[in-house]
Amino acid sequence: MLKSRMQILTLGIVLAVGVLVAACSGDGPPSVPVREQPDQLAERSLAGVRGIVDPNNSGWPRSVEGLNGMVSIPAKPERIITASIGHDEITLALVPNERLVAVGEVTKILTYSNVSDLVQDKAVITRDPETIIAEAPDVVVTSPFYPAEGIDALERAGIAVIQTELIQTPESRINAILLMGYIFGEEERAWEFADEIQARFDALVSVTAAKESKPRVLALTQYSDTLWVAGADSTEGGVIDAAGGINAAAEAGIQGNQTTSLEGVIAMAPDVIVIAQPIEFGAEEFRQSLFDNQALAEVPAIKNGAVHVVESKHFTTLSFWNIRGAEDLARILWPDDFPDPPVATFSLAE
Amino acid sequence: MFTAVQVMRGYRQLGVSARLTIGMSILAALVLVVGLISLTLGPVDIPASHIAWIALSSIGFDVPEFGRTEQLVIDQIRLPRIVVGAAVGMALGVAGATMQGLFRNPMADPGIIGVSAGGALGAVVAIASGLTGLFFLALPVFAFVGAMGAALLVYGIAVVGGHFSMATLLLAGVAVNAFLGAIVSAIIIVLPDNAALREILFWLAGGLDSRSWEHVRTAGPLILGSTVLLLLLARDLNLLMLGDDEARSMGVRVGATRVAMLLAASLATGAAVAVSGTIAFVGLVVPHTLRLMLGPDNRVLIPMSALGGAVFVILADTVARTIIQPAEFRVGILTAFVGAPFFILLLIKNKRQVYSL
Repeated sequence: MLKSRMQILTLGIVLAVGVLVAACSGDGPPSVPVREQPDQLAERSLAGVRGIVDPNNSGWPRSVEGLNGMVSIPAKPERIITASIGHDEITLALVPNERLVAVGEVTKILTYSNVSDLVQDKAVITRDPETIIAEAPDVVVTSPFYPAEGIDALERAGIAVIQTELIQTPESRINAILLMGYIFGEEERAWEFADEIQARFDALVSVTAAKESKPRVLALTQYSDTLWVAGADSTEGGVIDAAGGINAAAEAGIQGNQTTSLEGVIAMAPDVIVIAQPIEFGAEEFRQSLFDNQALAEVPAIKNGAVHVVESKHFTTLSFWNIRGAEDLARILWPDDFPDPPVATFSLAE
Repeated sequence: MFTAVQVMRGYRQLGVSARLTIGMSILAALVLVVGLISLTLGPVDIPASHIAWIALSSIGFDVPEFGRTEQLVIDQIRLPRIVVGAAVGMALGVAGATMQGLFRNPMADPGIIGVSAGGALGAVVAIASGLTGLFFLALPVFAFVGAMGAALLVYGIAVVGGHFSMATLLLAGVAVNAFLGAIVSAIIIVLPDNAALREILFWLAGGLDSRSWEHVRTAGPLILGSTVLLLLLARDLNLLMLGDDEARSMGVRVGATRVAMLLAASLATGAAVAVSGTIAFVGLVVPHTLRLMLGPDNRVLIPMSALGGAVFVILADTVARTIIQPAEFRVGILTAFVGAPFFILLLIKNKRQVYSL
């Protein structure tokens, strides 16, 4: 009996020491966000998030550094406009739907938008700043393509305008979510959502990073007669990287989205071709034309029937939705590792 | 030692036949050389010997083995593109020379009567509606219909009331160009699809990517036919440039000849625009440069402009498709980049020799 009590005591001490050692072994916050309990989420540090001026300031007013300079946001914005489709997609993941008060026309179109079903009843804005001012937003987030004159007009109307760029590296993707969450006063939700995105990305990379032989993938589209490929630093290129492929166009020295010729396709000799082009813009016809063209018969992707029409808005969006593109592509490249369809959507803010 | 200017002066003093024989021989050889060079260059590395074997095997010679893909690249990709480039250059060169003669204005080009703007509108409608992805040749057909529609509209305005007037034609061309340009801008503004917008901008910059034998078959006969007609009317154009009364007294049916030339030039330009987009500067620079060198005789100038245009476009396209291969540059941008400074240089150097038409 005594021996038995001693065993229990010893086991208890060992467990306690083990827990203590485990608790003390962490060196500060982890570089990749780790899922935590909701009440702990808001306390995670925003240090290192580009654009946030003072990560310790969780009150109002708060300042962010946009492409248009330092911007002070006086209070938690209730009426938000994010004047690009990529920004709209992120915003709807971070704030309740009703706080996004208006969108551009493109965000409503199913062909191009991953959130079209969520915005059908919203007001429409254009590049004319008056259409934005008419919606009386507290804050406007724009892409780098919104004109400086427009930003000036909005600022003179007393609206806080932050111009940010969406870049599709894994790190920048998380940064955009955390920065926009901070702008909207939704840090807790931003951390939660960043974890969700990171987890889906990690689930891909944990499989694809270990692959020794990676297929060479060419993102190819044809609008009218012109052939386009996506090279290094393109959105589609980021999707190919995330899915564990080698971007054949980037390997050939192509930067961004460029035109090429059929001969260029032959020279790049991809193992897989993905056509990220809307069906209504002739994606299936283009796919068939590649198989019908005898000059392409020796291209590995053609020879092996590895030409796939994919959901273009998953590949071309500048928001986190291109994780879906990477998941779609990973299923094509590694069917044994990803037998099941990816989760169709992402969580929304409540 | 003769200077270039002395050589050109001597050349201009020769008879028409001699000038044609010498000039055409040189330019035809140049077309051949540039075409052959273009045939050897591209993203797929094909040795020149293989290209020779491919050519020889096509006419029945027994040659060493070469790759099937190499043959298809030459037969189906490079060669039709070079032929389309030559045809487009020929059309723009001939139409430019004709327009400059008809309008007696060295700054006239084939776009002056709305052909390019009409072609652009047709192409933009085809792209914006999504038809280009669904039907092969939708783009050239729409562009051609637009080009010819615009030309006929301008001509129709110029003959309202039964009296044809070159001044009215010119002003109608300006108005129709502006109107069609506004429609194109309106479509671009309301079009939500970024890819289509980008495609429109690319088409407007002109290019020969993905040209096939189908394009040769579509545009070739129209360009060839209208070029032959303009060559046959070159003598009459010379007389028209002296004035209507002088031309009439020399037996030229002024009205009919002018209409035939306008329609032939529009047809050639429309066919070229349909398969290449709006390639800038060729119709202006090539005839004007050749006129400075060879003189204003259209019997020499028009055929030389045909070959000169072909050389210029093939050369520009070769650079466009190889300079950043396997990506491509737009040939229309290159022709303007190269053509405009060259043209300015030529104008400055030959200020006193510029022929007033």
